[in-house]
Amino acid sequence: MDQTLGDFIKALRNADVRVSSMEAVDAHDVVDLVGYTDRDLLKHALALVLPKTADEKNVFDYTFDQFFKFDELDEMEMADQAVAAGDATVVPQLEESAGQEGQGNGGGGKGCSARTGADGEGTPDVTGAVEQAGLREQLSPLSQMVLAGDRAAISIAMAEAGEAVGLRNIHIFTQKGLYARRILEHMGLKALNNDITELRKRDGVAAAELAERLRKGREYLLAQVRDYVESQFLLHADVDGSHLREDILSKSRLTNIERRDYRMVQEMVRKMAKRLIAIHSRRRKVFDRGALDIRKTLAKNHAYDGVPFDIRWKSVKIDRPKVVAICDVSGSVAKVAHFMLMFLYSLNEVMPNVRSFAFSGRLGEVTGLFREHDVEEAMAKTLTEWGQGSTDYGRALQDFATLALNDIDSRTTVIVLGDARSNYGDPGQEIMKKIHDRAKWVMWLNPEEKNTWNFADSVMRKFQPYCHQVQVCNSLTHLERIVSMVLRSAT
Amino acid sequence: MTAVKPVQGAAANADAIEVIRAGFEKLGYITNPQISTSIFLAQNLEKPLLVEGPPGVGKTELAIATSNYLGLPLVRLQCYEGLDESKALYEWKYGKQLLYTQILRETLSDVLQGAQGLAQSMDRLHKFSDVFFSEQFLEERPLMRAMRAPEGAVLLIDELDKADQEFESFLLELLSEYQITIPEIGTMKAKVKPVVFLTSNNTRELSDALKRRCLHLYIPFPDAALERRIIAARVPDISARLRNELVAFVQELRALDLKKLPAVSETIDWARTLLLLHANTLEPEMVRNTLSVILKFQDDIEAVEAQLGALTEGALKAAERPLGTV
Repeated sequence: MDQTLGDFIKALRNADVRVSSMEAVDAHDVVDLVGYTDRDLLKHALALVLPKTADEKNVFDYTFDQFFKFDELDEMEMADQAVAAGDATVVPQLEESAGQEGQGNGGGGKGCSARTGADGEGTPDVTGAVEQAGLREQLSPLSQMVLAGDRAAISIAMAEAGEAVGLRNIHIFTQKGLYARRILEHMGLKALNNDITELRKRDGVAAAELAERLRKGREYLLAQVRDYVESQFLLHADVDGSHLREDILSKSRLTNIERRDYRMVQEMVRKMAKRLIAIHSRRRKVFDRGALDIRKTLAKNHAYDGVPFDIRWKSVKIDRPKVVAICDVSGSVAKVAHFMLMFLYSLNEVMPNVRSFAFSGRLGEVTGLFREHDVEEAMAKTLTEWGQGSTDYGRALQDFATLALNDIDSRTTVIVLGDARSNYGDPGQEIMKKIHDRAKWVMWLNPEEKNTWNFADSVMRKFQPYCHQVQVCNSLTHLERIVSMVLRSAT
Repeated sequence: MTAVKPVQGAAANADAIEVIRAGFEKLGYITNPQISTSIFLAQNLEKPLLVEGPPGVGKTELAIATSNYLGLPLVRLQCYEGLDESKALYEWKYGKQLLYTQILRETLSDVLQGAQGLAQSMDRLHKFSDVFFSEQFLEERPLMRAMRAPEGAVLLIDELDKADQEFESFLLELLSEYQITIPEIGTMKAKVKPVVFLTSNNTRELSDALKRRCLHLYIPFPDAALERRIIAARVPDISARLRNELVAFVQELRALDLKKLPAVSETIDWARTLLLLHANTLEPEMVRNTLSVILKFQDDIEAVEAQLGALTEGALKAAERPLGTV
């Protein structure tokens, strides 16, 4: 795959358009077919292969325009204007164009031939021209390029240097200065600086003037490189650092996540829930439609000499996951419970059959709260209403039994979130046994690491026999894995 | 970065797209560059084309126009909840099978004549075992019909989002390999790959696996210029003035907050209605009487009626302005 396309796809991915490798291959085929010559055609064609939702199309449009910004036509026109102006000096030309110049990424300029023509007449000091020409010969390639004011060539050199120093890998904004310097070094800034020093040492108006022009040219070059790095950064890097932070957040322990990150975590949790739901939600509702399943009927009735005696109907019934969650919200686990509740809230939004309960000393249902209030409020209410008092598992399970035990059937998945620290009180494992016997699946999520289980007042070992699964759950990654498991086992 | 690969025939391909555009226009389907490019790519990459967009922007029409354009038969599969492979792909002709077993029962003794012992009889029967699950008993459904069409076909899988998720997964083999597997017979590969269109109204998100295998075309509501051309193509008898006015009016409606925005098909219907009523220009009274053609909810109609005068006036003004400023 060629580099330009690869970079473009990377930029798209960076902008949250999901591009699979298969689609990347398609894109490559498309480019083979339509080529880079017709910008609109390329855009239309790629828009069919890469973005796959209306939202992504918008992002694609923007990214494409940014990425393939270098517009040859404008370039030509500007060069023509420069020729027409005639007396314009090289440096002002450069400055005037600095603002408009696209940070050329996509292609070489065709305007260069026109430009070089313009610049010869453009030099104001005709008397020194011959002498200057002699001096120019001795300068470094970069200096010559700058003096020639060949913007296209500078753009190309800049892009090449960017390529050489791996600008594509730019990650966070603090690297911008570093990359700008590297690019300049690669382009030969040092030689240019030397040239300026050398020229200043010499006598003569021509040399001094040339040095001055070089200095101005260098300023222009610096500005250009900075702009270029900036634009590349916007394309390739994770601009606000959100990806990086999401990544770190999802791996750090829930208890270590600070309050200011809650909003972000909330967003992640919602995203996660959505993704899981998209994967797991089923719409199978075909049940007893009254359609005769001829294949099965024939097979079944072979024994009766082919007389359709035992009739089979088509019936498929797949249940949506029915989930009951019991959440410890007492002080010791409150932080984790926060996330668990958040997750349950998100699940509630997308899945109809989630019942949530919260407890510390006593237990109560919070499904209604979740349904009526927005997430912040619902969680705050839950915590104030049920989060006071010390944990009493026996009592809480007793409450749960009165409230909801009858609703638990062989299709229900029960999730308990708690550290199983019952303050040396009666843990109430016999109720846990009842739940276990009735439910399809019982899962215990413990925010503590395994080696602290059964230590001090933790009674995990008493509950463990009555759970189908016991898991440590203290990071978002854990949570995601677990919920995926719940959805799979429940479907 | 600057490597511009000279692709052979890139210009020729641009021409090919232009040819497609002109061809579709002749058939009365006005395309934007995006649409004609999509048809071109679908043909050349041999990939199915997934068309999404609000209802009534011509998703299904596109498939029909393509079938006309290519001169291939259109095979249409309307999706609905509960659609399964026996209705989409193939079914055995059970009735015929039963009938034949009954009829052939008599001949069974002939077949078995002279056979000695059970083993030999079984052997003889095994020779006939596949008879009942052969092509004679195969009932073709749309997907298979499209795959087996000798000249190729245009396959339209309409409103895929209405079908169950399982059906979507079932389509994957067909969409990526252009082949289908029938347990009793084996794998069938399309002789000529059909041009496949899938449409979706986005009532639910289609799976990534499916989207990955398709080109994705999103058809939005057309802008005023395109819509004028569409009306001109579909309702050629209407006067240019009225056409511009009614398009401007509909464009205004789309900017409002309505339950269901009027689509192109509704604009066309409205144009026909106005033509039938011999209207020359938009008048508030006539608009009021025919509003039910473009708006399908009472709430919407009431909301628009309240500001009918202003809207009509705006449309009349907009129609006079040259297109660039609309």
